[in-house]
Amino acid sequence: MGDTVPQNAGYLMAAYILVPTILIAYAVSLYRRSRNP
Amino acid sequence: MRELWRQAWTIARKDLTLEFRSRTAIVSALVFTALVLTVFNFGRDPTAVSTLDLAPSILWVTFTFAAMLALNRAFQLELENQALEGLLISPLDRRSLYWGKLLANLAFVVVVEAVGLPLFVLFFNVAVGHILLPLLAVMALATLGFVAVGTLFSAMVVRTRFAELMLPVLLLPFLLLPLTYAVQATARLLAGRPLSEVAGWLRLLAAYDIVFVAVASWLFPYTVEE
Amino acid sequence: MTIAQKGRWLVIVGLVLLGGVYVRALAFTPVERFQGPAQKIFYVHVPAAVTTELAVILMGLAGAFFLFLKDLRLDRFAEASAEVGTVFAAIVLTTGPIWGKPIWGTWWTWDARLTLTLLLFFLLVGYQVLRGAVTDSGLRARYSAVLGICAVVLVVFNHLSVYLFPTLHPQPIVIKPGKPDLPPAMLLTLLLSFGVFLVLYVGFVMQRYDIARRRGEAVHG
Repeated sequence: MGDTVPQNAGYLMAAYILVPTILIAYAVSLYRRSRNP
Repeated sequence: MRELWRQAWTIARKDLTLEFRSRTAIVSALVFTALVLTVFNFGRDPTAVSTLDLAPSILWVTFTFAAMLALNRAFQLELENQALEGLLISPLDRRSLYWGKLLANLAFVVVVEAVGLPLFVLFFNVAVGHILLPLLAVMALATLGFVAVGTLFSAMVVRTRFAELMLPVLLLPFLLLPLTYAVQATARLLAGRPLSEVAGWLRLLAAYDIVFVAVASWLFPYTVEE
Repeated sequence: MTIAQKGRWLVIVGLVLLGGVYVRALAFTPVERFQGPAQKIFYVHVPAAVTTELAVILMGLAGAFFLFLKDLRLDRFAEASAEVGTVFAAIVLTTGPIWGKPIWGTWWTWDARLTLTLLLFFLLVGYQVLRGAVTDSGLRARYSAVLGICAVVLVVFNHLSVYLFPTLHPQPIVIKPGKPDLPPAMLLTLLLSFGVFLVLYVGFVMQRYDIARRRGEAVHG
């Protein structure tokens, strides 16, 4: 025991940025489609 | 109830008579099955993986494709000549239409599997004699599962564009479960495991069949009502 | 406010709350000892997966009610739920590999949650493909309802099959009864995230429903 915790925060950042990107992209898509259905 | 079965049998007989009179469909399906088995032979490296490891997958992927092919033609007959409308106007109960189609499709796929299994044994040198009965049970249950849902879906896609492409896309997700059960059961049978280990997978297959035959037969009238 | 406008506000609120969950996850939730920071992907991955499944179940239930009540609004709701579900499925299927790579060393695993979500994804895509192929709205609604009901039955069967035959090799399940064994701080973050994803789901569905409604009314007048 006593090993350091893994250094993988990069993956965490990637995921945490990806999620709102997808959500916002979808929100924008919905908005544009509501303009001309 | 008896009337339902009588009507279903009439429909099934009609379909099967047409199928086997022209023979094109059944011959194509048999040739296709043989070809898929051949493809599997060339799609593997026999020195790297033992046949016995791959055998369940080969068998069941082949049967899945064969079932799909069989189901694709399920309502083609009616589509040509607008026979479907004729069937619907007739005093036939809608539910018997499902059962009749189910029987006909089952018969078709059973014929394909009856030829496919010996071919599989031949091509891949897999001994099944000692496990034949349980294996046939697995095949019967899995096939029923495939065809129960497939008959329902083929009724729907026949009226869409790109029906041949649509059916696999809709149906395959539903076949994943019975396929898994069948492969697991077959793998254990081929490995010589005791029947008690196989029984659970057979029960799962049976449960799937009961549930989906019930659901499909209940939903079928909604796909053909006007 | 129209349904679409309310939906938009909900989504904005949801996104802000998501930021709040991020803050909580990053600053106020402990780092998992063995997985490290990447474990915190869990706080978006799992709620997204549950929301995807919820979307599928509601899509199917709406279809079932449509078959009985013949109200096209139910069909439009199902259409909306399917599309929104696909978006959440995409989140699960992308965050999954990003989580899996540092933790298990491989981009894809056939673990319970990813496998089930992949299946849901195929069901959702198939559902929308079917809808795209049928032009008559009444026929489309009926076909969609049939497919949707089958999809829900499949998902429920998948979950229950584990309990029917417990002696077998474990099968995919996502939800299990009994208390989850997470430390309270992590559990709270997870639950807050569930709430946020639910808000987002509702907001998106409202907007998508409105689009479906306007399309439907344009056709029928």
